[in-house]
Amino acid sequence: MSKLIATSAIRGAHSLYNRAEAAYNAALAAKGADEPVSFPDTAYYLPVAYALLAIKVKTLGDIKPVLAKAKSMLPEIPAEGAWLPYLGNTLDSGIAALLSEEIIEAMKYVMGPNPVEGIWLGATDDVIVRTQGIKLVDGSMPGFAAVVGAAPTTEEAVKLATELRERNILLFMAGETDGKTMADQLNEAGVEMGWDVYLVPFGRDISAAVYALGVAARAAMTFGGITPAGMKEAREILMYNKNRVFAFVIALGDVDDEKYATAAGAINFGFPVIANTDIPQILPTGITTYEHVVSNVPLDKIVDTAVEVRGIKIKITKIPIPVSFGSAFEGERIRKEAMFVEFGGQKSPAFEYLRMRDMDDIDNGKIEVIGPEIDQMEEGKAYPLGILIEVAGRKMQSDFEPVLERQLHHLVNGAEGIWHMGQRDMNWMRISKSAHDKGFKIEHFGEILKAKLMDDFPAIVDKIQIKLYTDADKMKDVLEEARAAFIARDERVAGLIDESVDTFYSCTLCQSFAPNHVCVISPERLGLCGAYNWLDAKAAHEINPTGANQPIIKGETIDERRGQWSGVNELVRAKSNNSVQKVNAYSIMEDPETSCGCFECVVAILPIANGVMVVNREHTGETPVGMKFSSLAGSVGGGAQTPGFLGVGRQYITSGKFIAAEGGFKRIVWMPKELKEALAGQLKKRSEALGLPDFVDMIADETIGTTEEEVMEYMAKVGHPALEMDSLLG
Amino acid sequence: MEVKETYNGKIREATIGLGDTAVTVGGETSLPLYMFEGTAPNKPVIALEVYDTKPEDWPEAAVAPYADVLDDPVKWALKCQDEYKADMICLNLASTNPSTGDRTGADIAPIVKAVSDAIKIPLIVYGTANADKDAEVMPKAAEACQGKRALIGPVEEENYKTVAAAALGFDHLAAPHSPIDVNIAKQLNILITQLGLAPERVIIDPTTGALGYGLEYCYSVMERLRLAAMTQNDSMTQMPMINQIGREVWKAKEVKTPEADEPAWGDAETRGVLWEALTATALIMAGSNILVMRHPKAVELTRQFVAALTG
Repeated sequence: MSKLIATSAIRGAHSLYNRAEAAYNAALAAKGADEPVSFPDTAYYLPVAYALLAIKVKTLGDIKPVLAKAKSMLPEIPAEGAWLPYLGNTLDSGIAALLSEEIIEAMKYVMGPNPVEGIWLGATDDVIVRTQGIKLVDGSMPGFAAVVGAAPTTEEAVKLATELRERNILLFMAGETDGKTMADQLNEAGVEMGWDVYLVPFGRDISAAVYALGVAARAAMTFGGITPAGMKEAREILMYNKNRVFAFVIALGDVDDEKYATAAGAINFGFPVIANTDIPQILPTGITTYEHVVSNVPLDKIVDTAVEVRGIKIKITKIPIPVSFGSAFEGERIRKEAMFVEFGGQKSPAFEYLRMRDMDDIDNGKIEVIGPEIDQMEEGKAYPLGILIEVAGRKMQSDFEPVLERQLHHLVNGAEGIWHMGQRDMNWMRISKSAHDKGFKIEHFGEILKAKLMDDFPAIVDKIQIKLYTDADKMKDVLEEARAAFIARDERVAGLIDESVDTFYSCTLCQSFAPNHVCVISPERLGLCGAYNWLDAKAAHEINPTGANQPIIKGETIDERRGQWSGVNELVRAKSNNSVQKVNAYSIMEDPETSCGCFECVVAILPIANGVMVVNREHTGETPVGMKFSSLAGSVGGGAQTPGFLGVGRQYITSGKFIAAEGGFKRIVWMPKELKEALAGQLKKRSEALGLPDFVDMIADETIGTTEEEVMEYMAKVGHPALEMDSLLG
Repeated sequence: MEVKETYNGKIREATIGLGDTAVTVGGETSLPLYMFEGTAPNKPVIALEVYDTKPEDWPEAAVAPYADVLDDPVKWALKCQDEYKADMICLNLASTNPSTGDRTGADIAPIVKAVSDAIKIPLIVYGTANADKDAEVMPKAAEACQGKRALIGPVEEENYKTVAAAALGFDHLAAPHSPIDVNIAKQLNILITQLGLAPERVIIDPTTGALGYGLEYCYSVMERLRLAAMTQNDSMTQMPMINQIGREVWKAKEVKTPEADEPAWGDAETRGVLWEALTATALIMAGSNILVMRHPKAVELTRQFVAALTG
């Protein structure tokens, strides 16, 4: 805590208190204690006094206890070099300052001059608070800024106002610097002001800044449903503001004592102060979410700094690209004849790579094209394109990099006339002639990704910058880095085993049609739909804490071999409406996991062959179990435990935990050719890891037979290991 | 031997409107109508539909009871209140639908205000379930009837922050609408209560299917919500429910087709009335608390059913 700030704030509070007391005494002498006092059209009396003290001021007489409370909160002004004041003292003086300012303003309504005069709007009525409050709650207005003082020049004032308005941040103005206010500056420049345009001039006096806190206090009472009654409710109102009203103070020019005192008041609401002058900083966090006072910020960086320090999320409503955007365009194909240019697809070097950076390393929102733009490209040709997305966020984790990176496919495809497939350094993109005719440029890839990643993942993405490399030489280094990162990620995923974590995730997305089904997602067993692995579920939970993916603390190990834990059982019991009591994550025979209906594959036992077959959804032919996929699916799904049958995601087949309780991977005796080919690489790797390099060829497929007898003949011929294993039926 | 189930859950009571004419729904301590196992302090109530513009696609049988008031929402609402004894009015802002009128929030605000000022019974205001459009319209509608403690809906997953905030800011109740999906119904309830709306100000709209048009699907979702509420004591499913019956029933082919086209189907009015009453009674058995209906004769039949069951 800076002593300088503390001393100034305390001095400022004394000065404001003295002014309030003088104004009050004058009004009392002139009008008497029964004279009504109110701000126009509000049911919240003097809102700050009501919110913090639960005092309903209706007459001059009612102000007396408010003044007394303000006085009681005034700390002594610290003597030079005597002692170091506490943060608490400064915060108290802030509250005293706000109470005093509200009285000063209220006395203007009683005695004049009317605060509503010329450009000044004075107190805010309840309807405006409600209407603007809806925007604060739904995020279309990400927050508000209270500016005290004036910018160095009129041009800079206009620029600051524009920057805030571009972000839909409401701007309140009060207080002057050397006789000038920011509202004066905007007025001189001919900028229209008012609630509709998000520029609200409260008053020339610093005391008018209290109207901003009056709005904040009423937002908490209206939208937080808090009725003032005492200290507890006052605290709730302040906490509501800290957690939900994303406001901050911009202090321009010299910060005098009264401004310090007002700023200290705002800090009580969790609103940090950003200054363009060299005032002492208060960086440690505590009352506000992040830093308290950040100073010496150049005017052109002040909005970005404020947004970062207050943790404000800006909602992008329309992506600034010249073509339409929406999921309707995702399925669109672009044939060679309709294509203007293409990138990647073995025709030119290309990649997409998303990585996490530190907050300070990101110039938020910056999109850079490194190399030629589209106007220097010729129709029908292939060009290099490297997409490097860098994000930072207070809750970002490196594990979320691949989750976010994978979004790129559907995000880029969402633009009309743009086509994308593949991933990492094996991607392939096309821009159609029609999109090019409409003016689509390389930089627009950046606009799409910036807008959508910020908008869809506000919980984890605070800042983003995007580099688009169209110059093969300049992308080389980044491409090398990306490749190294891809290898590292794969190793991380490969190294992620069930034993290495203490938390799994549930998935109940399918409960609308399979009410009792719960997927238990572990590092080695992804969701049976194949869409959610453990990292996805972890990220999904971070992004949407109330959603379908909830963490499961494994708890006590009940059966290591079959994969049964106390925490998993408890969760499954609760989420399955008590219909499933226990599950074995690694068993097909005993208490297996249930299936919804979305599984990519069905695993079924072939008892005579002493093994299992796997059939994928796409396979329409007969299978050795005597049923086609469609009939099998009918008997497996619906959220019931069906020993002998299991719905699984493709990637689980080559997992180390694949029906481990029954001997695992080596039990597989049959799968369709198509599935074998699709998983060829992984199957081979898994076979080799088990010391059976030729195992894949021992798995029969439909070209060898579709009856259990045929499969067994083949097994005998190739010497399938399942023949030597313990009987499946025990 | 008598076998009774005991439940640890209870449906919350919610009050719409203010003063003498306020209506309270919910409060059940058993599965719907299981009077032998619990109590149901509040009977299901019926709201009659009023539209902000004259409907063009209604069959003759539905038009007849309102023929003289269809182009005046205020008179229409008063007729529902005074002549047909509706418990509530549900004002549908159909003209804001982008494909059939696209009127703005500012356009319809005076209508909402006029209707809410004219009637004594509680008001429900419904948008068109177009998430973006409702986000623009519903805050204006909520402002226009502020102070009436109305029920504002539908609140969708895509616009819950805006529409629920409007209900919150202007002191109304909100009806979160989920697409026949228990999980989304529950999640929306969690989200809007986290926004700050008290659970006592939430009425679930689980999506309504008319007889022959998904009624059974709707029924089982409501049944599951009630099972979760009663047997699992799941707080976020313990809200009363609302069903938009009128508009679903009266667009069914079997209801709209005139007798002249299908003589074997019989009198069109009888057919429509029975179709609506049957849908309504089924949904009462599934646990519906507020039935939004269209035909006064169907309302009458439904009332008789409620009286017979609840005494």
